[in-house]
Amino acid sequence: MHLKGSHQFNAPAHQIFKMLMDADTLARITPGVSELEETGPDTYKAIANVKMGPVSGSFSGQLEVAEKQEPESFVLKIQQNSKIGNVAADVKIDLEETGAETTTLSFDGKARLSGLLARTGQRVLSGVANTLSKQFFKALEEELENPAHQPA
Amino acid sequence: MPTKITMTVNGQSVTKDVDARTLLVHFLRDNLQLTGTHVGCDTSNCGACTILVDGHAVKSCTMLAVQADGSEVTTIEGLSQNGEMHPLQEGFREEHGLQCGFCTPGMIMAAVDLLDRNPDPSEQEIREGLEGNFCRCTGYHNIVRSIQYAAKKINEPKKAVAS
Amino acid sequence: MTNYIGKAVKRVEDKRFLTGKGRYTDDIVLPGMLYAYIVRSPYAHAKINNIDTSRAENMDGVVKIYTGKDIAESGINGIPTGWQVNFKNGDTMKEPPHPLLVADKARYMGDGVAVVIAESREEARDAADEIDIDWEELPAVANAKKATEDGAPLVHDEAPNNKCFDWELGNPKEEVDKAMKQAHHITTLEFTNQRVIPNAMETRAAIGQYEEATGKYTLYTTSQNPHLTRLLLCAFVLGIPEHRVRVVAPDVGGGFGSKIFHYAEEALMIWCSERLKRPVKWTSDRSEAFMTDAHGRDHISKAEMGFDKEGNVLALRVKTHANLGAYLSTFAPCVPTWLHGTLLQGLYVTPKINVDVTGVFTNTVMVDAYRGAGRPEATYLLERLMDTAALEMDMDPAELRLKNFIPPFDGVEQPGYQTQVALQYDSGNYHAVLKRALEMVGYEKFRKEQAQARKEGKLLGIGFSTYIEACGIAPSAVVGALGARAGLYEVGQVRVQPTGKVSVFTGAHSHGQGHETTFAQVVADRLGIPLDDVEIIHGDSDSVAFGMGTYGSRSLAVGGSAIVKSLDKIIEKGAKIAAHKLEAAEEDLEFAEGKWTVKGTDKSIAFGDVALTAYVPHDYPEGVEPGMDFSSFYDPANFTYPYGAHVAIVEVDKDTGYTKLKRFIAVDDVGNVINPMIVDGQIHGGLAQGIGQALFEGAMYDEDAQLINGSYMDYTMPRADDLPSFEIDRTVTPCPHNPLGVKGAGEAGCIGSTPAVVNAVMDALRPFGIKKDLEMPLTPERVWRHMQG
Repeated sequence: MHLKGSHQFNAPAHQIFKMLMDADTLARITPGVSELEETGPDTYKAIANVKMGPVSGSFSGQLEVAEKQEPESFVLKIQQNSKIGNVAADVKIDLEETGAETTTLSFDGKARLSGLLARTGQRVLSGVANTLSKQFFKALEEELENPAHQPA
Repeated sequence: MPTKITMTVNGQSVTKDVDARTLLVHFLRDNLQLTGTHVGCDTSNCGACTILVDGHAVKSCTMLAVQADGSEVTTIEGLSQNGEMHPLQEGFREEHGLQCGFCTPGMIMAAVDLLDRNPDPSEQEIREGLEGNFCRCTGYHNIVRSIQYAAKKINEPKKAVAS
Repeated sequence: MTNYIGKAVKRVEDKRFLTGKGRYTDDIVLPGMLYAYIVRSPYAHAKINNIDTSRAENMDGVVKIYTGKDIAESGINGIPTGWQVNFKNGDTMKEPPHPLLVADKARYMGDGVAVVIAESREEARDAADEIDIDWEELPAVANAKKATEDGAPLVHDEAPNNKCFDWELGNPKEEVDKAMKQAHHITTLEFTNQRVIPNAMETRAAIGQYEEATGKYTLYTTSQNPHLTRLLLCAFVLGIPEHRVRVVAPDVGGGFGSKIFHYAEEALMIWCSERLKRPVKWTSDRSEAFMTDAHGRDHISKAEMGFDKEGNVLALRVKTHANLGAYLSTFAPCVPTWLHGTLLQGLYVTPKINVDVTGVFTNTVMVDAYRGAGRPEATYLLERLMDTAALEMDMDPAELRLKNFIPPFDGVEQPGYQTQVALQYDSGNYHAVLKRALEMVGYEKFRKEQAQARKEGKLLGIGFSTYIEACGIAPSAVVGALGARAGLYEVGQVRVQPTGKVSVFTGAHSHGQGHETTFAQVVADRLGIPLDDVEIIHGDSDSVAFGMGTYGSRSLAVGGSAIVKSLDKIIEKGAKIAAHKLEAAEEDLEFAEGKWTVKGTDKSIAFGDVALTAYVPHDYPEGVEPGMDFSSFYDPANFTYPYGAHVAIVEVDKDTGYTKLKRFIAVDDVGNVINPMIVDGQIHGGLAQGIGQALFEGAMYDEDAQLINGSYMDYTMPRADDLPSFEIDRTVTPCPHNPLGVKGAGEAGCIGSTPAVVNAVMDALRPFGIKKDLEMPLTPERVWRHMQG
């Protein structure tokens, strides 16, 4: 499954980059993620609950940040396993400053699904991925506007 | 944690303890040994498990047994009255509306509901009415004829009375 | 009334199905029964580094968990294949092991890895969720052509380029090439005959039962051929004594080929039950069925047909890559070869034919016979070529066919027709079926309507398909020479009870075909007794002596003939007893209407009295054994060759690409017909499946060989409102070489219908000009894109 999208933020690239490298912030703004624990440099253990149409599951696995080029880009390597199937994804994230205080974040990558997830979820999954990325961008936007924001 | 439920199945009252997660179809098959109701899929598409709950066709795999507590349930085993076949059962036999017989109980129960709602359906209405029931053997051709046969049989005495 | 043959007798089996009293495998509950759940690979290709079952083992209700390692250590064999097709150079085909559960690596998504056995279905499933498997994913391949390319992932190390075999049939390549060079026109098509999923409405199930006290094993299974399953189970897989194994196939909810084969789960349930000393049941859910039932078709072909200026076919050249899946299923190697290549003569006099087939392993579930098995693929190829050629040469597609048909022959006065591809057709009048179909369509009138519709911007199309199939499978010596590892005769036993009632035991299992009625009609007619006096027994290896099962439209042609042979023996013996009782010479008697009569007199004795005498032989002919019970094996002299002409009329929505099938006309010749109602039903069902492949169905794999439409939410099954009422008729050309003159009707509808529908859509799209060929299924999206150019 191809993952692709972009969003414009009213913030400089380095600020966004920093936020995305912060485990606490990331755990807060990523939809479904309930736990994000740093296990080493740039590697995290993640636990997420995702429900999409006929398929819902509790995922656990690894998240790794690679090819870091602050503040322009990095690659997110995701390996998440669940009883309903596994997800493996490599997503390149690019931050391009389009103005003094504006940055376009774009992502491009591929997710590979297996098991029940591939068999019955595929059809609805690109829609789900879209929704999730929109939620993520919205949360990131709020976080940028109010960096001190903490969940109630 | 088992829950006690009571319902009327094919005219007889039954009371049983069931797991909260037990589907109605499994309750009928496993607890009541009413194996005429079949399981053909796990996504509620095929209709092999169709039964009547309070007179309406229900895919019994979409309902928990506990949800049917207090209901009146009719399965294929309870369709014939006093040893006489229901007009739909007769129609399926007369018009060769079944081959392997696996989809047949669900198909007939769906058709009972269909004819209840629309006693004189056109061919197109029958075909649309069977959208939720798969048959892999008959190509539906003779199932349509079977339902037409039953509709005619059910309507004839009514027409006779009316005239 | 003893005249049953040819009558639409209502089915005797219906009552139990209509009242919910059918008895399918999953309906069976045995005392002390356990439930199995199979843990399957989520990956199409992956190494198993470790399996941790410790958490699962301690869960409620769990009795035992076995993994592939336990299977390997027990020293049993894997699942065998029943057919051998070698490489052209004489090398033996590649036949890698197919273990009941894999220990080292999984080769398709759904490959069994472990089995959890628990006190209930739910507990087994819950525990399965707690098994931790450390997988190492490997690159996978699903496409048969790509799998043969250098560098493609290897499914089995012992099969380089994933080739199982390569195979050739027909005239030498050079001769075909030469004929092609002389062609005025060559039509070329490259296409995929897509993979379809059989989807019998009853999913597979198996119960293994081992009784320690008697040493007896019983397998209840959803099978089309219990005896063959027993043979493979005992002789090849588990090495258990066949005489202590009973295989029962009770009521079976459809098969369409997918239940012919011996599956791992059957052997596994017996194996588990032997260890646990309790019965163990496994029932597939639908998701599992999508992943693990053998699929059908999946050919990638290039086909070329050369014509002279007048439209006479000169030559046919075919190259096919056939997907076999990850392991060899029971009939897998023979489907794309001997059941496909041999049918490429079709109904045409094509003088030169060469077909070349490569059988390929991929990381997908096994591919094997699915209704038609090889013959639909051959028909699709020929009939798409014919309609496309007609279009390209600006000829009428019906006329092009009529021009190239083999002339009529009855197989008695005129000899059978020897094809270029090994077979000898039995009898046929091919012009008659197409002419009758054209009449039913109102062809000339339709073309006028079509022209008018096109003026109005409507996309109306007509498509033709004519086919021949090789059924009544099969003469044992012939198939033996072609690589079959079993004989393909059938067994029919007729036991006359002392009161004159008759029990018939047949090895041909019935799972929708209505054997209990059709066979009874044959028996009642021959013996002149009421239908009610006959009972047909099938599906239990402890009752039925032997059998090879139901597939390849063989039950009546082969199984029915075996019963007729036994009936002949009954009548012959009865005549001896009757002659004694009537004090007449045997040759002075005639048998009709259920009694033996001394010719020219009114002296007679009824069948029932003769039967009673046979069992109470007080006054009895000398040298004749008491009793009346005969068993016969019938091995056919040749295949049977049903044929027909199908015509589809469609309207394609210009805006959405949706194809509405408006009419479907089928004229089939299946030889003599015993029960026209049942034969019509078989045709209807076949048509729906063939149309399903053309318009709706198709397994889809992503680039990691994950099946991505493995549920009814994603895989489109034909529904009632997708199909029209069918217009069918038949001609009757008896089979000259079996006693009933029957040819078989089970697969005909599925073989002829698919190309007719595709041809009709292509015809409807003609106003858009001849463009790239369309791949099945012709979903609205595909058709719409095609129209956009």
